[in-house]
Amino acid sequence: MMWSWIPGNWSLIWQLTWENAKLGVLPALYGLVLSLPLGIIAARWRWFYPPVLTVINILYAVPSLALFIALIPAFGLTDTTVIIALTVFSLCVILPNVVAGLRAVPPAVTQAATAMGYGPLRRLATIELPLATPIIMAGLRVGVVSGISLASVGQLIGVSSLGYLFIDGLQRSFPTEIYVGLVLVIALALVCDLLLVGAGRALTPWTARG
Amino acid sequence: MITFEAVTKRYPDGTVAVDALDLEVPAGKTVVLVGPSGCGKTTSLRMINRLVEPSSGRILLDGTDIRDRNQAQLRRGIGYVIQQTGLFPHRTVEDNIATVPVLTGLSRRKARDHARELLTLVGLDPALAKRYPHQLSGGQQQRVGVARALAADPPVLLMDEPFSAVDPVVRASLQDQLLLLQAELRKTIVLVTHDIEEAIKVGDLVALFRPHGKIAQLAPPDELLASPADDYVAGFVGFDRGIRRLSFVSTGQLTLGTGPVFTTDATVAKARAGGEPWILVTEEGTGRARGWVDAARLAGQPDGGTLGKLAADGIGHSFTAGTDSLRAALDAAVLSPAGQAVAVDGEGRVLGVATFDQLRAAIQAAGQTEDESQAQGAGQRP
Repeated sequence: MMWSWIPGNWSLIWQLTWENAKLGVLPALYGLVLSLPLGIIAARWRWFYPPVLTVINILYAVPSLALFIALIPAFGLTDTTVIIALTVFSLCVILPNVVAGLRAVPPAVTQAATAMGYGPLRRLATIELPLATPIIMAGLRVGVVSGISLASVGQLIGVSSLGYLFIDGLQRSFPTEIYVGLVLVIALALVCDLLLVGAGRALTPWTARG
Repeated sequence: MITFEAVTKRYPDGTVAVDALDLEVPAGKTVVLVGPSGCGKTTSLRMINRLVEPSSGRILLDGTDIRDRNQAQLRRGIGYVIQQTGLFPHRTVEDNIATVPVLTGLSRRKARDHARELLTLVGLDPALAKRYPHQLSGGQQQRVGVARALAADPPVLLMDEPFSAVDPVVRASLQDQLLLLQAELRKTIVLVTHDIEEAIKVGDLVALFRPHGKIAQLAPPDELLASPADDYVAGFVGFDRGIRRLSFVSTGQLTLGTGPVFTTDATVAKARAGGEPWILVTEEGTGRARGWVDAARLAGQPDGGTLGKLAADGIGHSFTAGTDSLRAALDAAVLSPAGQAVAVDGEGRVLGVATFDQLRAAIQAAGQTEDESQAQGAGQRP
């Protein structure tokens, strides 16, 4: 471990961390945006969900590198390729939680809302989605953390991330770089997760104990 | 007023939940739909706010077919209370109660202010307004459910097994609260229950359902108890319906005796001269009952001694003449060591006593004069 390497390469480390964060978080947010309408449809029309679930499970089984390579002809060696691939993966973990969250809303609650004159859209927006939020947030957390971790694989097709430190460290037989990259990926995942936990608490004050 | 005209609900699999139901729910009255599970009572209730649509027939609300009304408007004018409360877990108590007023365009602040008044109305501390439903007990949640249903002051209230999920003590207090509210608000209430006791306690009219959605009997509670239409009704109402029916008979016509009643400063000789097997001693001045003294205990006392000096047995409980029912009077007699019920006035002063013979005479008289108005006017307290 060569500590002096860190201050000497501060700007590189910072840039790679930022790019890794972007490549990890954006796909999870896109995944959420896609999961909401799909999940709402799947929760409402039950026949829709099993085929969708089969497709996303197959997609989730595709190795990330293979998916990157499959997208290269269309999008080249760009951020877009990594973001699209990781969005697909985050969709795979978030969508089931959207469906589970909406299905977990007690029938008595939706029935009471209907009986009080809520239309379906208003009920969805003000009753069902808020109540599904804790479960959806749990899915988003997994999506963000796995996105941050998978983003480093993008380095293999030349898309810049903390993965650079792994590959460069390996090629130069310089373990310090590898350790720094590993610690930063984990720290980045932890920080993002904590931020999401905080956001989740703020969004769902009723779940606080006591 | 709610009118069912030949309403049938048949499901696609052929099950008939409600079969050509005709029913009139008078404005300002409580009609209880009671029956075994699967008898169509809940389906009938849910057709009123169109959670379920009838297969045929129609339902009129104040003369208008409910299908001609805007669905959301119709529902906002009908309070709905269910067993599982259906409270919104993510909203505070006050925001739960404010739901319908806010939906109909009232400002959140006004709606919350009103919500606090409603909390008081249903017997809850307004300090609970900022809590979430899961922080309340089952009974409190159910009261919030009632407050929420009343928030927009709808003329109609639908209650589906509203008190079935709480323990018997809480249930009784919720029922009492409903009776108090109803005496004040005079809503048109349709309440579904499987509990015939509850039906008899809170209903102005009871509709007893047979399985598969037919009404076996529609009658005021005392009539249901006094003259069940057939064996099914009699069986459902229960074997002690004769005694329970006495809840609806006033003690106003009961003959009271004052023979055994003496004050604390009366002498032993005077009490003995009456020849009564039991003497009821009352406090000089207040007129309240002190207790029963039997003739054997009296026998050993000096003639000049006063009754106040003697130990007396407790009276069990008394009944308030004219207010309490014959059932309360009969219960008082059964529990009394002397086998006589002590009648008091509103202030607790002893008016006299009723023996089993006098109670029997009153019961028989009530059976002969099947007078609706008299029975309706009888006290609610069993």
